Amino acid sequence: MPSATSAGELRSLAERIRQGDTAAETELVHEFSRRIFVMGVVRTRDREAARDLVQDVLMAVIGALRKGQLQDADKLPAFVHGTARNLINNCLRNASQRPPTEPLPEDLPQTNSIAQLEDAERMRLVHQALERLGQEDRKILWMTLVEGHKPGEIAAVLGLTSEVVRTRKLRAVKKVTELIEKKMSRT
Amino acid sequence: MNCKEVEEQDIQERYLLDRLTELEREEFEKHYFECGSCFSQLQTGLAVQAELRREPLLSEKVRGASLRRTWVWAPVFATIVVLLSAGIWWYGAQKSRQSQQASSSPAKASPEASMRPQTPALAAPSNQAPSMQELARVEPPPYSAMVLRGGEDEGQESFRKAMRYYVKGDYAQAIPGVRAAVKASPRTPSYNFYLGACYFLTGQTDSAIVSFRKTVSLGDPGYSESAHFYLAKAYLIKSEVSAAEVELRATIRLQGDHEAESRDLLRQLPK
Repeated sequence: MPSATSAGELRSLAERIRQGDTAAETELVHEFSRRIFVMGVVRTRDREAARDLVQDVLMAVIGALRKGQLQDADKLPAFVHGTARNLINNCLRNASQRPPTEPLPEDLPQTNSIAQLEDAERMRLVHQALERLGQEDRKILWMTLVEGHKPGEIAAVLGLTSEVVRTRKLRAVKKVTELIEKKMSRT
Repeated sequence: MNCKEVEEQDIQERYLLDRLTELEREEFEKHYFECGSCFSQLQTGLAVQAELRREPLLSEKVRGASLRRTWVWAPVFATIVVLLSAGIWWYGAQKSRQSQQASSSPAKASPEASMRPQTPALAAPSNQAPSMQELARVEPPPYSAMVLRGGEDEGQESFRKAMRYYVKGDYAQAIPGVRAAVKASPRTPSYNFYLGACYFLTGQTDSAIVSFRKTVSLGDPGYSESAHFYLAKAYLIKSEVSAAEVELRATIRLQGDHEAESRDLLRQLPK
């Protein structure tokens, strides 16, 4: 399934940034900041570091796009991902190593505050959604996502079959996702 | 990678648990940088994981369920088997002695005496209140490495290196480095707290108490609650129930991650 922004729009985004269109930079920030944040959280296990990385990656990407360094505009998502991966790896390798600092333009949206608000709202909705799940479904999610057990192991503990565990897990995740999408699309 | 593969191979879940190969991780990241649907599910998965981690009550209940099934019952069954075997052996021995005695002195044979040892020995484990050691049992305080910006000072470097041992469960090996960090920066709560944790996890309870007390005295809300909680556990190891109770009440007042567990523990303390 494609992203909210179509491939054509993404392609033109790179070109518009190269031409100095600051609105295009804003669109790029909206398109990728949360993806970079999630990637940063998963790879570093540190939300604060991930927030900093969002800024670093966007600075590096925008800097490169302004200089026309992206050869193939179709590969913008892969370019952002590659930049994020490199900077995260640098951070993990050497905590004191920082990417070259280049101040963000003043009119660029404050990604941190937007991301933090959305993050807080998402967490609130997740809390609500989990409250609505049955105790056993919550146990299945907990054992899967926190303890890291496989369906067969959970099934043995809860006295279910692994197929039932798998189905209930998928259903619970779907239920939570749908509720969040529904509520967040209203805001 | 496509959406179907992501779903069929539990890619999202394995990504959140850091169980993908480097190649799979790279492919999945490339995919969700372009796929709105998979990214939306991933965001939810990450939020659900974070929220579940913050729920101590559920954690305790689920962990309790797992433990009951995997660990607690195993020794109970083993004990029953051993006791039954001993009982059968004892009963057999008694019977043969009785039959020997019956031939010489039948009046000395007592039917009650032959049954007495079996019943209380089997009944006792299920009726016993948790022991002090059971109440003092604790998970090691979790630790995730901070990614620091700018130069590290001496204390930060010692601490970072030492905590590599800590996350591997080698608490004894972590102690010298964490101690060096405390020496370099005595007023840093995290250093004092994890030094206490290392001592506690290596059975050096008195030293742990000193470090946890120091952590509490530094007044950092991020560590005070945990320090009170682990102090309570340390006092339980020393069977100092009143001191443990004071620390549990202090933990509850701070309404943090250990509140629910502390309430449970408080109820189970011997009066």
